[in-house]
Amino acid sequence: MSRKGPIPILRVGNVLLTTIHIDLQDTIAAAFQEDVLTEIEKTGAHGIVVDISGLDEVDTHVARILAETGAMARLMGTRAVLVGMRPEVAATLVRMGYAMGAIETALDVDDGLRLLGGRPKG
Amino acid sequence: MGSLAFESQTLSSETMAIDREEDIVHVRKRARMLAQARGFDAFACAALTTAASELARNVWVHGGGGQATLEELSDGNRFGIRMVFRDQGPGIADLERALQGGYSTARSLGLGLSGTRRLVEDFAIDTRPGEGTRVTITKWTRF
Amino acid sequence: MARLGFDERELQSRRAIFELHDEDLQRLTAIRAIAERHMAEVVDGFYALLLGHPGTRRFLTDDAQVARLKRTQSAYFLQLFDGRCDLPYVENRIRVGAVHERIGLAPKWYIAAYRRYLALLLERVVLDIPDRAEALAAYQSLKKIVAFDMSIAIDTYIAANLESLGRHQAAIRELSTPVIRVHERLLLLPLVGAIDSQRAQQVMEMVLVRVIEEKARAIIIDIAGVPVVDTKVADHLLKTTAAVKLIGAQTILTGISAQVARTIVQLGVDISSMHTLARLSEGIELGLELVGKRIAPKEPS
Repeated sequence: MSRKGPIPILRVGNVLLTTIHIDLQDTIAAAFQEDVLTEIEKTGAHGIVVDISGLDEVDTHVARILAETGAMARLMGTRAVLVGMRPEVAATLVRMGYAMGAIETALDVDDGLRLLGGRPKG
Repeated sequence: MGSLAFESQTLSSETMAIDREEDIVHVRKRARMLAQARGFDAFACAALTTAASELARNVWVHGGGGQATLEELSDGNRFGIRMVFRDQGPGIADLERALQGGYSTARSLGLGLSGTRRLVEDFAIDTRPGEGTRVTITKWTRF
Repeated sequence: MARLGFDERELQSRRAIFELHDEDLQRLTAIRAIAERHMAEVVDGFYALLLGHPGTRRFLTDDAQVARLKRTQSAYFLQLFDGRCDLPYVENRIRVGAVHERIGLAPKWYIAAYRRYLALLLERVVLDIPDRAEALAAYQSLKKIVAFDMSIAIDTYIAANLESLGRHQAAIRELSTPVIRVHERLLLLPLVGAIDSQRAQQVMEMVLVRVIEEKARAIIIDIAGVPVVDTKVADHLLKTTAAVKLIGAQTILTGISAQVARTIVQLGVDISSMHTLARLSEGIELGLELVGKRIAPKEPS
């Protein structure tokens, strides 16, 4: 895998799984976006699960990168599901008036994969 | 624990430079450390550190760099954290519009200022075209 | 101590209030030898008083405990003449106050006992100082440090009370947001009573935390018991719905009257992505459907 950024993207069946565990500063964010799109192009994955349970804070800058990446994936025919957002992060974004556009969400990675049909229903 | 017998006072004060993008992370991490040490709950911590992120990013992106001052306060019953963000950038021409949200210079959502205002108890802004901007926010522990 | 806001600056400002200067501390160090000589009398006299009154006697259960307390009291006594009034000293005083608060000794007993303590110090220690002017000055210094100590003890009482008040408020908050588990991964919050912005914020936080705790797929918020749903309340409810969606669950809003429907539409909010229903029973049916269950009639026997 020819990744440009430090955030790994795994393949689980025909969906992608990525866990964001570091600050999405400008350079990392750009590399992340590019890595995701390249992987989608390469694998033809029909969905991607983005796990942000490791982020204790998401400002509008990071939220925008996540929403944009999701929108770009969707344009390529890949469903993007954002999972693991912490309660305090969600409350803060909503209080600021930011709702992350139309991105799909799930409680955790398991639910996200299930939503994409990557795992048997349970 | 709080105490009625103390007068409102500044317990500590520190100033950090915002010269590089990484400094945004430093300011936010420092704000989180102070907030956690003073007993802010998870929701208040997230609100405060997100506000710090937004304003530090404004200083970096729109102000061309500047400083952040972090202060710990006590009013006798509660602890507070006050943050002052200063830059010597172009200032905000239409402040009213910026505070209503949806206003954007450069590539931003324009939620930075209006959104931040909703996260804290006190919000003050002083901006002069051509001279710079100074934003002061304060958040208190819940009693 | 950090949580009490007591730092070097507070220490200096408080010492200034009580006019507790370095000369006072030096004066107390100077009479330490005399104080030590009378220590046992003062401590014994003090406990004789405490044992003599039912209000304080009830805290003193047996001889072993009294003997132990007398040792602590002796250490406390000697610290008055150590010539130190720094942060460790304050920390020690905060601990003394906290112990008295914890055992439930009312401040009146604390202050009354301290008055007696001071009287004993005057009788036994101060009057034993040969020089009259020196004795008088030493007594003034002693009163300063004793008053300083008392102020810290009282602060500790107040702080403990505020803390318990905070705990009670947290309990009330919890009671006002009773999130119920209806079924596996399905929650219900029946909202009753007025909702101001403070309560609305608590509701949002509680809902989010409980959804994560229960790994809920959906939460039903029934607002039939909310007397007035104005644009502000409606806005709060929509924000909660948006936040629930962000963490990966769904909100079903039930108990919506005609007036509420009007308010929500007037707000101009896009509710196409929201589940809204008039009756709670319908909400429960929809909620069960979302978690893959349904209510079916019993098979005829």
